[in-house]
Amino acid sequence: MPRYELALILKAMQRPGTSAALRRTVETLMERGAVVRDLENLGERLLPYKINKHNQNHLRGSYFLIDFYAAPSILTRLLDHLHRDVDVVRPTVLKKDDQVASSNCCGS
Amino acid sequence: MLVLRGFQRITSVLLQQGNTSLRSLTTTSNVVQHNEDMLIKMENPYKEPQKGCLLCNVSVDFKNTQLLSQFISPYTGRIYGRHITRLCSRKQKEVAKAIKKSHAMGFMSVTHKHPEFMKDPHVCGKHLE
Repeated sequence: MPRYELALILKAMQRPGTSAALRRTVETLMERGAVVRDLENLGERLLPYKINKHNQNHLRGSYFLIDFYAAPSILTRLLDHLHRDVDVVRPTVLKKDDQVASSNCCGS
Repeated sequence: MLVLRGFQRITSVLLQQGNTSLRSLTTTSNVVQHNEDMLIKMENPYKEPQKGCLLCNVSVDFKNTQLLSQFISPYTGRIYGRHITRLCSRKQKEVAKAIKKSHAMGFMSVTHKHPEFMKDPHVCGKHLE
């Protein structure tokens, strides 16, 4: 089961640029001992609001979702690394729990 | 003395009518004591199945911005309260948390509703239609 989920928003680039950025990200993940389970592309779309990052105003971005298993100790340094990457607009790491149908809802 | 006599009369009556009426006497005094028309204890046969809230069996996710956009105002992007969405407390909390999460992660707009989702069915409140 995936332990963490990285919702990555990359700068709107051409295909080779995006693939290079993704490759870099996954390689850093694997270097730190994470096991990448799944990589989903949620498409390139207009950002919900203007995001100012690395001295650039971004209007469009490509959304990716990376599921991975990792030790919790690597997360802070990983996030730090991702914030410094110029091509990454917004990285967010979330814990992933599969407890959807755990209990009765609404008492019915 | 009088009390004793009354008691004796009641007991003799009970013995004549049998054991069934004894139950009704001891429980309520409003019940008419007939042998055939005894109240049968059963669940309310006209009971309706309990209706859950809208999102009873639906999982709420921060990626599902279309679903989340149904619970925000199209003009200001504010999250509707429980008295408007009519969700149960658990689901309302989940929806609110998911909306705030997607705001922070850059998935959903904060100040308005995405124009793509404007034509979605109105799920919250009747006066907004």
